[in-house]
Formats: sequence, structure tokens, C-alpha cells
Amino acid sequence: MSYTIALAGNPNCGKTTLFNDLTGSRQRVGNWPGVTVDKKEGTYKKDKEINIMDLPGTYSLSPYSAEEIIARDYIVKEKPDAVIDIVDGTSIERNLYLTLQILETGVPTVIALNMMDEVEARGDKIGAEKLSETFGVPVVPVVARNGKGIQELMEEAVKAAKEKKPPKKLPIFDEKLQGAIDEAKKLLEDAGESDSEWKAVKLLENDENVAGQVTEELKKQIDGIVAKAYGPEADLEAVVADQRYQYIAKVVKNAVKKGTTGHVETKSDKLDKILTNRILALPIFAVIMYLLFACTNSENFLFLGINSPGIWLAGIVESIWERLTDLAAGVLGGASPWVYSLVIDGIMEGLGAILGFIPLVLVLYILISFLEDCGYMARIAFVLDRIFRRFGLSGRSFIPLLQGFGCSVPAVMATRTLESEKDRKITTILAGFMPCGAKLPIFALFVSTLFADSNQTLVTYSLYIFSIVVAIIVSLLLNKFVYKDGASNFIMELPQYRIPTLKSILIHGWEKVKGFAVKAGTVIFVSTILIWFLSGFNFGSFNGTNAAENEDGSVMCEMNDSFMASIGNVIAPVFKPLGFGEWRPAVGVVTGWIAKENVVVTFAQLYDEDVTDEYLEEYFAQYSPEELEELGFEGGEYDAEAAGDIYSESVLFEGGDENALPHMKDDIKTKAAAYAYMVFNLLCMPCFAAVGAMKRELKTWKETGKAVAVQMVTAYVVALLVNVAGGLFL
Amino acid sequence: MADIIVLVIVGVCLAGSIAYTVRNKKRGGSSCGCGCSGCSGGSCCGKKE
Repeated sequence: MSYTIALAGNPNCGKTTLFNDLTGSRQRVGNWPGVTVDKKEGTYKKDKEINIMDLPGTYSLSPYSAEEIIARDYIVKEKPDAVIDIVDGTSIERNLYLTLQILETGVPTVIALNMMDEVEARGDKIGAEKLSETFGVPVVPVVARNGKGIQELMEEAVKAAKEKKPPKKLPIFDEKLQGAIDEAKKLLEDAGESDSEWKAVKLLENDENVAGQVTEELKKQIDGIVAKAYGPEADLEAVVADQRYQYIAKVVKNAVKKGTTGHVETKSDKLDKILTNRILALPIFAVIMYLLFACTNSENFLFLGINSPGIWLAGIVESIWERLTDLAAGVLGGASPWVYSLVIDGIMEGLGAILGFIPLVLVLYILISFLEDCGYMARIAFVLDRIFRRFGLSGRSFIPLLQGFGCSVPAVMATRTLESEKDRKITTILAGFMPCGAKLPIFALFVSTLFADSNQTLVTYSLYIFSIVVAIIVSLLLNKFVYKDGASNFIMELPQYRIPTLKSILIHGWEKVKGFAVKAGTVIFVSTILIWFLSGFNFGSFNGTNAAENEDGSVMCEMNDSFMASIGNVIAPVFKPLGFGEWRPAVGVVTGWIAKENVVVTFAQLYDEDVTDEYLEEYFAQYSPEELEELGFEGGEYDAEAAGDIYSESVLFEGGDENALPHMKDDIKTKAAAYAYMVFNLLCMPCFAAVGAMKRELKTWKETGKAVAVQMVTAYVVALLVNVAGGLFL
Repeated sequence: MADIIVLVIVGVCLAGSIAYTVRNKKRGGSSCGCGCSGCSGGSCCGKKE
């Protein structure tokens, strides 16, 4: 027989860490509230009959946001065989509020007292046995981060699931309130309602969700009970909450022994004095983010004249890919020109362009994971609240936007943690503006080729700042003209600073690389073939015209005559005012909607094709023999056969020479236009997968269409301004 | 002959990647093409409403 055990608790109390430990999963964990936005199922690794359900965090069973409703509905309606209520031992009073409510539902419960290492480090002592005696359920001290106490916890949870013994009724409420609850309970029982006690409390609390499940008549009768006991204007929600907290205070006084009395300034408090300081917070954030990009994408790392770790690792990946390409080219020696072109110019060139950027993504996300896991990013939400609030958004919106630095899909999904519908709608639009991991290769390609003589770190960094500034301005405009109603409050718990474990950081990095590799092997692989086909063929390929005209009998055509060029030439004029009104960059924008990485894949295929033998000879003539040898020519002598590969490696990927891609510069003539191109790709509609996620959260295609229209108009207007204004300075 | 061998290999890879993506989506997995496990919306973003 199989059993289901649900993991419930306050946000950021360690549910997903425990879930990963129990199931062997690698679900995303983070040191801020709201990482998990939907329930996730897994199987206990030591007993496949036990299903584990990880629920989103919630402070109470009176939910305010969408993901809290998911947690409440699961416990109350789906009724797991047992609930493991994870209590953060460092904030036991607040966590026990949810515990009382879970116990009220009558579901067999086991309490996991988590973060006991931190409790002990503070010198506090929590009497698990006393708590167990008070609540009538097992209480097991654990440290989810290192697995301490987990075995015992699971033994108790499985026992509770098998016995199905409901928790005992606790003397939480005073006589008057309990009397009202009993009266309401009787009415519900007479009406044939299940979970009568729990529903009675909720109805007295005026819980809208539960009130919607009973008849109007019943609701009126319960309102009558409240009016009789407390008067017609009584707010019983406050009375119930107050009595629960009074009960918790008594329990804590009895079971918890504080190591010190009064307020003690912790290390977190000391750090917060600096990192969330009204004046210093933003400059410190700016410096930290700059260092992040200096480590990721700089050929002058910290002004030391050396490559950043990201660039250094990228060089290794590129050289491995180059060898693989050479190997493939050797094997394909006897194949037809178009088959050779498919594999080398299409697949190898396209995939190579994107795989070369994996190290940059890896380094960036390892560093961002560190900042998230240590608790710093939650502080930034707090700091930015001051700014966001002036523009009609709460600092809570920063959390989904932060996830947008990784991928727009989870960012859009994370908007369900926001309480107000207005915030959700606006943040869904803004999430598309964030520079996701797939946009980083676009910036890296442009920066290394068209901004080679500039501070490359600063250019990349400016785009990230740009995205936040544009998000704030658009938020202001949307608040003023589109979504006018619905103010929201920002309540967010600041987690303790913690040194992230190496394992956790490496898992984050590995998952990101794995995701990138999976995408390269699926969506991008298919795209490379599609782009290659559309850019190398036209109708003449199929009616024999090309074969007759080409000396080698190839059915392929000149790129300027291809299907791709025909499509691109139709849409290109739209982008003329933005500075990139040629067909190749226009096509790059469109292929980017399949997956943003495709912009780079498209450029790699379309611009590499134009590099002729004559051009290569002329290009490399500017180098001395020593420089040629350094670039990869054996003995420092120009070799026409090796020139193409060396050009691709040294120019397209490593950049370093602003004149290296003449054809790209023919199409994107100025730095202003190049920056406008990056800005347009940064702000325009995200990939189709993210649009699908937007539809899921915004519910209707009309709302989704509206959101996409805002993104497209914003991208166009801002890129236009960049091109016009930038033309004056760049 | 070389052409046929290469095209068969490319065709198998292409069919495999499309099949993987479709199967993953049907299982309620990722809709973005990435893996789910590192994603906070993992395992639920591709689900039917």
C-alpha cells in the first residue's frame, strides 16, 4: 500500500531541502521566501511506496497568494496520509502559527524542528519532548541541510501515515470563542458539511474561500453567531489570531529556553546595517553586480589584463569544439557539398556558437546562486522596495524579476507569489525584460565583436542595469495608464545570512549547464538545421536552376537569394529606424523568439557564410608571421585551408578585433545600432515558451496579447531612442 | 553512399530530439526546452490547466 506524506511549513523553512534529501531530487532551493511556487511530487528514496509532496510555503491556512492556496487546498481537500510540518527553530513563534492550523485540520502530523544547528549556535534550547507532549504529535529535531535527524523523522511520519490517528484537540481558544466555534460546527454538521470544526473556525475568521463553499443561508446563520457573541461589527479574524498567538506564547515559554535574554545583535544584523543601509545599499549592490560580470565576461579581468574565468573556460570549450569540427570535416571529405555544408556550416557552426557560451552562463549562475543562497538577494528586494514602491510596485516583485535573470519561464510563474493581481500582471510583463541566460550569449557576441575597443564588462553590465531601469519606468507607466487599481503591501521576511554549501552551488551550476545542453540538443539543434536550410536554399534548388548554374553542381544558392533572405527582406524595413534594417539582423530577432540563443546561432551561420577565401587572405595579410603563429597558423605562414577555422575561432568567438566581422558591420554600422539591437532583443517578446507561461498566469490570450504588445512597443521605442540618442555620442 | 549515411545519422538525431521534446511536454515537463529540476516552476509549467 502506498502513502502520501506532504511537506508543509512557512516560506524558506527548508521544505525543498528536506524534499531533495528524502527523494534524491535536485529541486531548486534558495535562501529567500517563495522559491517553490507549485507542489512537487517525488518518491522516498528508501521506500518507493511512500510519495512525498513538497508544498509551497505559507504562513497560515488563510491564504493570500496563489501558491498559498495550492498549499492549503492540498492539505485540506486532498488530505495526505500525513503532514510533516517543518518548523524553522530560529523563528519558532511565527512558525507555530501554521502548526496550530495544520493540527486543526485533523490530518496526522509530525513536526520537524529544522535548523537546530542554528538554534544551538545561538545558545537556545527547544524541548522537543515538551512540544510533543503539548501538541500530542511527534516532534523531531532535524538539520535538513546535512540530513541530521531525517531518518527518525521519516520513521515517525510513516508511522503516523499508517496509523491515521488525528491530532488531539488543543485548548487554544477561550470559552466564549470555543462556544461560538462549537455552535458553528453544529450548524455545519447538520448541513452535512465535512471538516466541520476546521470550517467553523475559518467561517468565523471570515475566510472568503471557505465562505464560498457553503450556502448563503448557512453563512448568515454563522454571522448571527458572531454577532450574538461579539457584536455585529466584530472582527473575529483578529480575535482568533490573537488567541492563537497567546497559546503559542504559553507553549514557547514552557518549551523554549533562550540562551540570552533581550535582543542580541546577530552577525546577520551587523551585516544588514551595512548591506541594507539607506545610503550604501544601492552602491554596494552596483559594485557587487559589476564584479559578477567582471568574473563572467571580461578580457581584462579586474584590470589585470587577463581573461575572466568565464572567458578562460569558454576558450577551452571552443578549442574542443574546433577539434570536433575538424574531425567531422575530415570524415565528410567525400560527401556532397550540401551535405558537408549541412553538418559543418549548419549544425557544427550553429551548435558551436552556443556551446562556446556555456562557461559564461555557468560562471554567472554559480555567482548569482551564491548571492541568492547566502541571503543577499532577499535584501535587495527589501532595498529596492523603496524605489519600486514609488513606481507602484512592491519590492516583492524583485523576486520574480531576479528569477528572470535565469529564465523567463520560472520568472513568470513566480509572479503567483504576489498578492495583488495588478502586481502579478505588471510583473509578468516586466519579467520578459530581464536578461535571461539565453540573452547573455547575444550580449557576449556583440560586445566581443562590436565593442572590442570598449570596456566590455561595463557594456554587458549596463544592459542588466538598463533592464531594471526600463522595468521601473514601464511599471510607472502601466500603473498610471493601464492597471490603476489595487495597491499592495510589502511584507517579506529577511532570511538569516548563511554560507551556501558547495554542493548546493555546484548543483545549481550543473542544472543550469544541463538545461543549456538539453536545449542545445533539442530546440537549438532543430533550429540550426532549419536556419541552414532556409539560408542555403531557394526555389532554384528544387527545379534544377542552381545545379545548372553552380560550377560544382551544388543545389545550394547564394545566401542573399535564399528563402531566409526573402523572408528577412520583408520584415527588415520595420527595423530601419532602429539602425539594423538589413535582413540578417531582422531574421536574428525572429529566430530568437523560438529560443533567444538562436540569435547567436543565426549570426554564426549567416555571417560566417559570407567570409570568402579572398576576404580571408586579405584579412590575415594585416598580421605579422609571429601574430599568425599565435593565431594558430603553423610556422606563422598563411594557410588557406586552415584560415576559415582560425577566423571563426579567433574572430567570431573570442572577438578582440573590432574589424573582425566586416559583414556584420555592414549591417549594423554603428555602436548605437549595435546597442539598440541588444536592447531590442533584451526587451522584446521573450521566447514562445515564456509566452506560454505568460498565458498560464494571465489566464486569457487577450491579456497575454496585451502583455506581449507592451513588451514589443517598449522594445521598439527604447531601441529607437538608443539608436537616435546613441548616434550623438557613440 | 557517404551522403546517405550522414543524412541517416542527422535524421535520427533530428527525430530523436523532436521525440524527446514532445514526450517531455506530454509528461508535463518543461515547455522551454531546459530541464525542470533546477527550475522553481519545474514539473508544473508544462501541465495542462
